Amino acid sequence: MPPILEARNLRKEYPGKLALKNLNLQLAPGEVFCLLGQNGAGKSTTINLFLGFIAPTAGAAFINGLEVARYPLEIKRHLAYIPENVLLYPHLTGLENLALLSSLAGFKYSESELRAYLTRAGLPPEAAGRRVGTYSKGMRQKVGIASAVAKRAQVLLLDEPTSGLDPKASNEFSELLQQLSSQGTAVFMATHDIFRAKEVGTRVGIMREGELVDVRPTTTLNANELEQLYLKHMQ
Amino acid sequence: MRLFRLLFYYEYLHFKASRGLLLLTGLLLAAGLYGIYYGTAEVARQRRHLAELPALGRHQVAELQVKFPGPAEAGEIGYYHHNYALHYPTAWASLALGQRDVNPYYLKLRLLGLQGQLYASENVNPVKALSGNFDLAFVLVYLFPLLIIALGFNLLSSEREQGILPLLLAQPVSATQLVLAKLAFRLAVVLGLGALLSAVGLAWARVPFDGRVGLWLALGGGYCLFWFGVVVLVAAGQRSSSFNAMALLGAWLTLVVLVPSLLSVYVAAARPVPQGLALTIQQREAIHGGWDQPKMETMRRFFTHYPQYRDTATIRERFAWRWYYAFQYLGDQSAAPLATAYANGQAQRHALAQRLAWLSPALSTQLGFNALAGTDLPAHLAFQQSATRYHDALRTFYYPFLFKKIPFTHADYARLPTHSFTSPSDTHAAWAGLGQLLLSTIAVYALGLALLRGRAVSIR
Repeated sequence: MPPILEARNLRKEYPGKLALKNLNLQLAPGEVFCLLGQNGAGKSTTINLFLGFIAPTAGAAFINGLEVARYPLEIKRHLAYIPENVLLYPHLTGLENLALLSSLAGFKYSESELRAYLTRAGLPPEAAGRRVGTYSKGMRQKVGIASAVAKRAQVLLLDEPTSGLDPKASNEFSELLQQLSSQGTAVFMATHDIFRAKEVGTRVGIMREGELVDVRPTTTLNANELEQLYLKHMQ
Repeated sequence: MRLFRLLFYYEYLHFKASRGLLLLTGLLLAAGLYGIYYGTAEVARQRRHLAELPALGRHQVAELQVKFPGPAEAGEIGYYHHNYALHYPTAWASLALGQRDVNPYYLKLRLLGLQGQLYASENVNPVKALSGNFDLAFVLVYLFPLLIIALGFNLLSSEREQGILPLLLAQPVSATQLVLAKLAFRLAVVLGLGALLSAVGLAWARVPFDGRVGLWLALGGGYCLFWFGVVVLVAAGQRSSSFNAMALLGAWLTLVVLVPSLLSVYVAAARPVPQGLALTIQQREAIHGGWDQPKMETMRRFFTHYPQYRDTATIRERFAWRWYYAFQYLGDQSAAPLATAYANGQAQRHALAQRLAWLSPALSTQLGFNALAGTDLPAHLAFQQSATRYHDALRTFYYPFLFKKIPFTHADYARLPTHSFTSPSDTHAAWAGLGQLLLSTIAVYALGLALLRGRAVSIR
């Protein structure tokens, strides 16, 4: 099966700093890849390269076989993105924000469908019609999750997506990811949460100073072993 | 197109939710309506004054007829009788008063030397002249850019600073599409407001609907487009909203206030023009000197200009009106080179200002509006020339009475020449202003879009 997400010698340098060192990686449909690493390790840089927000210094990123740098708009039809801190238009309601994001992605949903997506993401139904300015961080995060699900993307790029979610909501999000994965969606998730990575990931990678130093299937080690492995690489 | 409509609609939602922008738009609408009222009220006041002058003239004739009940010496009548040279405004003047507030719109002329009378107008309240006219052209040229700045200073930076940009650009939409849709909505608001105010102003002032309406709208629309181009240029720098706001306000101050002021100083220095006062003094000195000149010498010089009166009787009296008016005329002649230099200098100043106006689109637009309304400096100079011709006509009328000693009867008052002048729109100058404006607009967009394309959009 061809990879849905691929990095070939992907490299990003800033003046005086190597942000990502020749990353080679492939994700198959339905795979959940969790990327662990300290702050500044290069996790967000990797996601930004897949999104086309920054240009690589060398190498290339591919989404569904399309090179990101050459097809910056086309690749965005195949992916959805949830940042660490979902920020939305504060004067619009959750429904209006979701309608905007899904319309931009090319989906025209009825109000009841939009409400259903928000509920599925865990937003209380009565909050959907309220202005986002009144939302907590976790509630905004749920609108972000709803927008990603509503986009029916083949690839999910997640940058600390459970940041701001309470434990119950985090668990529900994990279930949602597993459900999407079983439907063939590939997930690339940058996280600090080793437990969550072990729980939802099919593979886990550890990144240090811009380099992917270890990749393991999650079936080969338990949460404690993963934590030990991570700490060993961070020393 | 679907994407554009969607982004446009959401821009409308953002605009609707912004109380500050709604308030500013409302204030500008109110300012525009006041500008229309101010302009039409000022022109109505001038028209009322102009309409009262013929009645004033008739009243003066009645007084002269009492003072001189029978046939009189024409010299006496020419000395006392006021003739009015009238400069009527066009309907367009209500929208752009131009120089109609600082230059006289009527002149009170007697048969005496002309030059002193051309510049002897009523004093203008300097405080009022300092503040200028609050007409529609002022609102469009000076205040509309401020609304454009308020609408556009955070064209892209707002989404970036609110943190929404990454989520928006993770959708299949480019930053250029986003900027263009935002720009289109803001342009629609500004052009809609400008078109609404222009429509109200044109209807209120009862401006005839012809090609000049299109020229007015093109000047106003082109000027707004230019300022949106400046907004794109500043937004392309991808700096913070506060930086953009300061940069745009700096551009407003430079292009709307500083450059026109500096140009005015430069033009005045580059094209020195004798003062009207100097003209008056020279003419007056020549006239006063006329009293001390031998009458024969004065008349000899006068007859070189009017040889048809050479065979009139030699003046032997101590005072004769024809001699008096001869040295009045020679006074004008002595000031003629200075008067020509003054008129030419003024015209050259205006021509130089027009040539340099490309440095400030505000100036090109203002000059274009004034030319269209017939309220610019050339219009005033044309009025002065017309008044000069009228004074010549008065001389031509009176001289046979003076030199052939024909008594001036009551019936002759009705035969006195009258004057009326309406300065037409100078569409050629207005087109020139529009041309300069379009060149500036193309330049600023080319620069802005090149910068925007050359730099990747920073999402944070």
